[in-house]
Amino acid sequence: MNRYFILSVFCLLLFSCKIEEVSPVGEAPKNISGSWRILKATRNGTDITSAFDFTQFRVKFDSAGNYTIVNRVPFLVNANGTYALDDPAYPFKITFTPQGGSAVATSFNYITTAGIRQLNLTFVPGCALNAYIYTLEKDN
Amino acid sequence: MLPRLNIKGRKIWMLSALLLIGIVFSFCHIKISKVTIPASAKVGDVVPIQLDIDESCNSGGSDRLILGVLMPKGWKGTQNMSATYKSSKGDGTFTMVPLTTLAAHGEGKNWPDYMRATFGIAGNLIDDMEWVVMQSDNPFTYANGDKITGSIFINLKVGADDNPTVVKLAYVVANTTNGFTSDTYFDEGYGPTAEYYNQYVGDCFTVTGGSGDLIDFCNPQLTTVSPPKSLDNDLVTISFDSNVIETDLSGSDEVYLCATGTTSDGQTINICEQTSKTLMKAVGSGRYEITFWPRAFFGVSDSQTVTNMTYFITDKTGTKQVGYGNTTAPFTYKFKCG
Repeated sequence: MNRYFILSVFCLLLFSCKIEEVSPVGEAPKNISGSWRILKATRNGTDITSAFDFTQFRVKFDSAGNYTIVNRVPFLVNANGTYALDDPAYPFKITFTPQGGSAVATSFNYITTAGIRQLNLTFVPGCALNAYIYTLEKDN
Repeated sequence: MLPRLNIKGRKIWMLSALLLIGIVFSFCHIKISKVTIPASAKVGDVVPIQLDIDESCNSGGSDRLILGVLMPKGWKGTQNMSATYKSSKGDGTFTMVPLTTLAAHGEGKNWPDYMRATFGIAGNLIDDMEWVVMQSDNPFTYANGDKITGSIFINLKVGADDNPTVVKLAYVVANTTNGFTSDTYFDEGYGPTAEYYNQYVGDCFTVTGGSGDLIDFCNPQLTTVSPPKSLDNDLVTISFDSNVIETDLSGSDEVYLCATGTTSDGQTINICEQTSKTLMKAVGSGRYEITFWPRAFFGVSDSQTVTNMTYFITDKTGTKQVGYGNTTAPFTYKFKCG
């Protein structure tokens, strides 16, 4: 009697479980569409944010892969054009191709600070020894 | 049997301890007793520099000698400097230390960065300098009580950037084991801290000739430009130091930049207004700065390039102007990278 009872409980436990299949969640593509302003600027490691008026500069990315520069300052490119990420989900590089010009690529440093996305762009607009880093943040 | 074994063990321990002390505390105090260098040279000259070295060793060991020379970046020292040595421990040559070689006691820094962090730019006023670091080809072996003498013979081709220059060259000697450390043992003639390294800062050294503007690292200037080398698409900062000498602008509340740019197609563009565009911000201690984008400042077209500029510093009326060396001649600046 006891033997049949234990066997029944064992079978019940065995067949009441099933493997749950959890499908992997893919990394969301990085969406940088919108208007970005300069939050911080450094030249050769020195903070020059307050030394020069960066406040009017904007770079606007649209979802079709175009960018527009408003109120130019020294930047990777000096004309409007198209942009592309080397990988939509895990980008390491962003490439700007100005109209009538050559493509310029830089590392894609897309960080989160205090819950807000920031984009750090490193570039050399003049002499090779002079490196600039702009920290961009989206307009509200 | 046991006591015999004990004696052997004791000897082994003593030998091990002595060996350990020899490894950990193998050092020589070092100093540059004399530097011989011409007072001046011309752009492109190969300048012979002789460093006379004395060393006093407190234990036995083996090390390579490290040699660092501080010079303007534009001289491209890694390509234009060579050195040999003659000493009571033998003769040989120096080779460049690869940037991937970490310095002893350098906390992860390579030798040039370690020298930069320890000695800075040796009192020069423009931060466009680098330490060029070499090491002796062979390690030299020394014993406790050794007094070593020798000379390092440097050949330095100056002015690779084609700029006349006034600069304080500086020299550091050290060894590959001890880095820039010292001990508390007094060693006659080697200073109170008995360092295993030594720095020697030379007098102002003048390089004449060249087609560029004079770069004076040595003497305080009324104005300086940062970065020292830039193109018209860089952001350029001009600083005015009103404390250097008494000028017509001494006591002025506001000072302005009055500049004339010359483009590659021969156009001259004069921006000499006293507005927010040219206002130099007071940054304290009598210093004023303006950071501007030359292309936008002079309003050139996409097909034009600003090749050079001349400038004055003025008061808010524009009538009082200060030029190069507090004269009526303007300051000059060429937009170039070399």
